[in-house]
Amino acid sequence: MTAAAPVAPLSVARPAPALAAVRLAKSFGGLKAVTDLSFELPKGGLHGLIGPNGAGKTTVFNLLTGVYKPDAGAVHVGGQPMTGKKPSEIAQAGLVRTFQNIRLFGDLSVLDNVRIAAGVRARSGLWRSLLRTPLYLREEAEIRARARQLLDVLGIAHRADEIAKSLPYGDQRRLEIARALATRPTVLLLDEPVAGMNTVEKKAMRGLIQSLRAQFDVSILLIEHDMGLVMDICEQITVIDHGVTIARGAPASIQSNPAVIEAYLGVPDEPAPTAGEIGA
Amino acid sequence: MSARATPGVAGAALRSLYPIVIGFTLAYLMQTVVAVSIDDYYSKVLIDIGIAIVLGVSLGIVNGYAGQFSLGHAGFMAIGGYTAAAIVYYGSIKLFGTKAIYGGSLGPGELLLCAGCVAGGALAAVAGWLVGQPSLRLRGDYLAIVTLGFGEIIRVLIKQTDDVVLSEKKVAAASWWSLMDNLGGGFGFIGGPRYIDAKNPFWVWLFVVVVCLVAYRLKYSNRGRQLLAVRENEIAAEAMGIKTTKAKVSAFMTSAFFAGIGGGLYAHELGNSMRPADLGFQKSIDIVIIVVLGGMGSISGAVIAAIAVTLLPELFRSFAEYRMIAYALALIIVMLLRPQGLLGLQELWEVEWRAVGRSIVTAPARLVRWVVTAPTRARAALKAAADRRQEDRS
Repeated sequence: MTAAAPVAPLSVARPAPALAAVRLAKSFGGLKAVTDLSFELPKGGLHGLIGPNGAGKTTVFNLLTGVYKPDAGAVHVGGQPMTGKKPSEIAQAGLVRTFQNIRLFGDLSVLDNVRIAAGVRARSGLWRSLLRTPLYLREEAEIRARARQLLDVLGIAHRADEIAKSLPYGDQRRLEIARALATRPTVLLLDEPVAGMNTVEKKAMRGLIQSLRAQFDVSILLIEHDMGLVMDICEQITVIDHGVTIARGAPASIQSNPAVIEAYLGVPDEPAPTAGEIGA
Repeated sequence: MSARATPGVAGAALRSLYPIVIGFTLAYLMQTVVAVSIDDYYSKVLIDIGIAIVLGVSLGIVNGYAGQFSLGHAGFMAIGGYTAAAIVYYGSIKLFGTKAIYGGSLGPGELLLCAGCVAGGALAAVAGWLVGQPSLRLRGDYLAIVTLGFGEIIRVLIKQTDDVVLSEKKVAAASWWSLMDNLGGGFGFIGGPRYIDAKNPFWVWLFVVVVCLVAYRLKYSNRGRQLLAVRENEIAAEAMGIKTTKAKVSAFMTSAFFAGIGGGLYAHELGNSMRPADLGFQKSIDIVIIVVLGGMGSISGAVIAAIAVTLLPELFRSFAEYRMIAYALALIIVMLLRPQGLLGLQELWEVEWRAVGRSIVTAPARLVRWVVTAPTRARAALKAAADRRQEDRS
């Protein structure tokens, strides 16, 4: 349950990783947004993806979730190839994300936001819904119960009937996570979950993210600018800059990696390290 | 075990279909009590309201729930109307040997009318699938443009058809295939039996109940919530695993189906002219107005707006001439004061009336404030749009 025991990097004969990216590449016109990105997120892992502004982090998320088609490379979720599939298919396969710029169903109630996500795999089609068959009624009851339970876990149950866009900012982030979890994901991608939060809210969110893994049996990949959070809770960190992986490893090794320090702070006196240099 | 299962099945069947029983009762009462006790004029106005409800509520499924702006509802109405008219007129002659009204209440003639309406609805749904498949894949205003064009294409195609075959002997001799081209062209489909009149409103009210029931159950189901999710944020809906294109197409087909039924009812109402010109762009706008005024996603809102939009031209005869100006003004005022429409997403029984009272009292002050602050907000909106473009690119 405690988070930060460093994981042995490449053991032999493992089960298929929860999420794997294999040599992903994407360019927009002349701009190489992502070049040759590979990583593996083991089952139950909590990894971080960091990099300076404009490094291509959100592009990576968009590649993983199928919003963008990669120019080269592949994405695997639980060992299944996802390349070329639509975002909805990838989400149904178990890879679900939150958004950096919160994208809730703003005019709907908090409960409905989560109910929508909880019902994505429901079998009742149009006819069953219109006829309100026993299967449909059972599914609706399950969906409601699951949504209520998630709102409880995320601590926003008392706001269930409020309109989503009227929630305070921190609760909107929590609602996004509740909504993502309601789809029963195997991998959760969190895009800057503590952006814009104050210290107290950040602390609460940190505890929440750590508890989610055990409680919902998900692996988590995190994009975050808040170094304190990333260094604290991630087992492994991948650092990218200008779309190129410049370092990967445990938090301690990342903190002392010269390539990372250069990317964030700049080191004018020394020659730039090559892109292939990998920490750990 | 089976002793326990049997009432379960019966109970489930009863639960799923009891509103239809209520609908039958209501339609029967409208026919046997209301229609005979009020003046024919009022009865006819009620029928017009009923048809407007069928059209408005059905358009609300795609424009309101799914947030996809369709401007082709009259096109689907025309498909359904002409299909039903052809089936009922030519079918009457072929089956019953007469083009007059045949059989009494719920007699063979009326059942043919019902079958014609359902067939018209089905054909409209097929057309909805054909139009929706390509255009609903795209986000944005493409659907409005495509459906606008679709409505016009249907209108022009019908205009090209030949005259209705009036001779019963010729109809009896001709094949169904050859009669498909005899839809009346620009003069309209004339000569068919008009089963719906001031004394016979039964089928209108039955279908009013059916469309309201379907819209209601859809709205509060998982499927309906998925449509609302598409409308609220399509990117997030897709990212949660909702097959957005499929959801939109199915909503569009459901909507088109009931538009077709509405067209079938319209075609058989005594006194309506069934000309292509009556089922053009103007008609589509009339129906859009019902949805926008009533509330994007509100069934009771659409019903109220359908009543208002039908009654106003009746109350003020001259209003009919100026209604496009009045609609435009009404739309502008609604967009300023209540962009979500009269009821928004809510139903009549969900509204908090105290808040409504407050909002009515403060309306003049808000209007003044809106005018005063307009330039500031315009600037902010432009900036926000620029930011959003930036964000979408990242």
